[in-house]
Amino acid sequence: MPAVDVQEIRRIFTPRKREPVVALDGVSLAIPAGEVHGLLGPNGAGKTTLVKILSTVLLPSGGRAFVGGHDVVTETEAVRPLIGIVFGGERGLYTRLSARQNLEYWGALYRLSGAQIKQRSAELLERVGLTERADQRVEEFSRGMKQRLHLARGLMGDARVLFLDEPTTGMDPLAAREFRALINQLKGEGRTILLTTHDMVEAETVCDRVTLIDRGRILATETPRSLGSLISRFQRIDVEDAPREVLEAIRAIDGVSSVTTLEDGTVRIEVHEEGATTLVLKELVDVGVTAVKTSLPSLEEVYVQVIGDRGLTV
Amino acid sequence: MRAFLAGAQIQLRFLRAYPDAAIPFFTAPMFSVIFQMVFRHAGREDLTPYAAIAPVFIALWWLALFNSGWTITMERWNGTIEMLVAAPSSFAAVVFGRITTTTLLGVVSFFETWLVARAIFGTKITIYHPWAFYATVFVTLFAMAGTAVAMASLFVLARNAVTFSNSASYPFYVLGGILVPVSFLPHWIRPVSAVVFLSWSADLMRAALQAAPMHEFGFRLAMVAVLGAAGLLVGLYAMRVILTRVRGTGELGTT
Amino acid sequence: MSALVSNARVSWYAIVSGANDYWAIFTLKSWVFGWCVRMLSQVSFFALIGKLLESDKQTQFFLVGNAVMIAAMGATFAMNMTTSERGNGTLSLLLASPSRPVLVFASRGVYVMADGVFSALLGLFILGPAFGLHFPFPRILLVIPLTALVGMSAYCFSTFLAGVIIRKREVTGLLVNATIVILMTLCGINVPVSFYPGWLAWISRCLPITNGLEAIRDVIAGAPASTIAAHVGAELLVMSGWLALALVTFGAFVRAGQRDGSLEYAA
Repeated sequence: MPAVDVQEIRRIFTPRKREPVVALDGVSLAIPAGEVHGLLGPNGAGKTTLVKILSTVLLPSGGRAFVGGHDVVTETEAVRPLIGIVFGGERGLYTRLSARQNLEYWGALYRLSGAQIKQRSAELLERVGLTERADQRVEEFSRGMKQRLHLARGLMGDARVLFLDEPTTGMDPLAAREFRALINQLKGEGRTILLTTHDMVEAETVCDRVTLIDRGRILATETPRSLGSLISRFQRIDVEDAPREVLEAIRAIDGVSSVTTLEDGTVRIEVHEEGATTLVLKELVDVGVTAVKTSLPSLEEVYVQVIGDRGLTV
Repeated sequence: MRAFLAGAQIQLRFLRAYPDAAIPFFTAPMFSVIFQMVFRHAGREDLTPYAAIAPVFIALWWLALFNSGWTITMERWNGTIEMLVAAPSSFAAVVFGRITTTTLLGVVSFFETWLVARAIFGTKITIYHPWAFYATVFVTLFAMAGTAVAMASLFVLARNAVTFSNSASYPFYVLGGILVPVSFLPHWIRPVSAVVFLSWSADLMRAALQAAPMHEFGFRLAMVAVLGAAGLLVGLYAMRVILTRVRGTGELGTT
Repeated sequence: MSALVSNARVSWYAIVSGANDYWAIFTLKSWVFGWCVRMLSQVSFFALIGKLLESDKQTQFFLVGNAVMIAAMGATFAMNMTTSERGNGTLSLLLASPSRPVLVFASRGVYVMADGVFSALLGLFILGPAFGLHFPFPRILLVIPLTALVGMSAYCFSTFLAGVIIRKREVTGLLVNATIVILMTLCGINVPVSFYPGWLAWISRCLPITNGLEAIRDVIAGAPASTIAAHVGAELLVMSGWLALALVTFGAFVRAGQRDGSLEYAA
């Protein structure tokens, strides 16, 4: 039985005086116990909506979802003790209270005994590296510290299933790295983690599998390796001052999808095969062209290519 | 039960962290001084019971309006309301714990008021009908908490909650006859006063502090209880509406 | 001269921005049904004591005193607006500008004070007749400028206090309410100044409102012009005193806050 089982979940929002918005359009997903699963997509893709539904905070418009085998709509009392939420951001903490007081409050709401509360909050503060600041007011914390406190808060109930919604957004790279190390530790403890992000690097480094989602629809579920190779297949090379003959030769290379001249005179070469990049670069270097820049396409552009490609190969 | 206590504990912590919460505990004794002065100057020492209980009602009502009333709304603005919904504990129990704590603290204003009267003016306040008095206090606190639950829930749903809470102090002091009994108000206002539990409460408390025998105690006390219970029921119902909205529409739909 | 003009311009813009902020909070409907109802209830609450005491003279005493108090309340609420600068994060911008902060602060709340004065007069002229009181006309019109004087006096006092707490913004609500209730107790609003023991009467006369209110009561009672003038003079003196104190200390408080970093919190 998967830890998280999503079956054709739909969610439509009808804001006042505006058109209805389909946030989730028949999403299905199964996450086995102990997996770290990434939900990767641009802003507005529906990631947060799905997480809210799974954490019983939002009702779906259609479909069913189960956490730990319990229906999130009809069996909320069974689901809630199992889950931990890390919504993140600036809000969601009692800023005038200390870190420790915040944790103790949620511990009580997760039905821990007095002794458990004290012990667990101390442990978690230690774990996320906030012991020294435990009794300072949260309003004095930096963004990274607040995020770590959010994680500690989500763990107070010793959740078996954790939902992390864009937990490293706004963190500096060092803090984000430490945070990811923490996530790896949690995985080592056998917890199931659903992590939403729009950062491909994050998805790659932390997750066992990654689901690509956009506009309420799941595009595919991949392992990061496949994702990595997927992305690196679609590289682009921007060149300046390349002679016409070289560009013609490049156009003929297998794996080059297009050679277009941009407005500012730069030529953009797009490839869709691994290895094609090397060939292209070789051509350019051979004729002494050095004003070369390679980059990866954005997630959206990958999707466009992917959808145009009619599906992915796993 | 644990949720109730968790709510109570965090409310106490909030009290320390937010100085505004202390306002009624400062204003109550000051009002006591004002009213005592007034009656002394007028040579009406017999009215000291009036001066003794009005500040308490002011404090309790303030707590209901400004502390309790904003409980749920503050959670919303703080971004913690969804987490509260997702936690295993009962939302209503947590809120009730917080409101009850706030209301019980209002009892402190009793002591402040009477202490001030005694210390500055040498006024002695005699409780002529102790059982009646304590019963009234008890039921009044219950009614106050019930009304506060109604405020907490309705403030989330109502669009002009801020305006209402800022201006709902003195109008209710007048309607509730907390200093000057309702019998001094014009006839056409009295029916409105009858549905404000404060008017029944204040009358009873004043009567308990005076030598004359008390009339219809049971009925009047029941009115306080009934009106308070009505507030509680409205509040609980409104809370259900709030939770449905949070889960159903994903937003509370008000500014 | 140009310094005066530029200072005046700063003030004007601050007044206008304060007014805009104010109307962002209040609509006409909420002003009438919210604030106005509350204000009339407040004055009535105290005026009714006169009914309890079965004395028209007392009713008038309470009514006039508490109506004038409304003007002072408006002035005290203005403290909220000024200290909200810190909350809005606009304080550091303000301090970095060439203008003197006290000027901006003092001007931002003027609108609230003016609202208080207007409300006070409204209360007086609506509730007076409602409680069966007859005010001597046209003498009663003198009350209008006198109430404005009381408002301004209270405003200078409140500006000074705003400086005192600029570093501890979370205490604002407490201080506003404490100030209001202390003024209600000590300024001869509900009991005459003669009721206070000597030392307290002295303190009372150094506070805003007290002398101005006595002038207002004098006007209604038909006291001789010299008595009225004496009280007005006293109120002007008190107002100047608090204003001077505010001008002198505000800058110092701000500088202290800059030194210890307590102005930074957007709490």
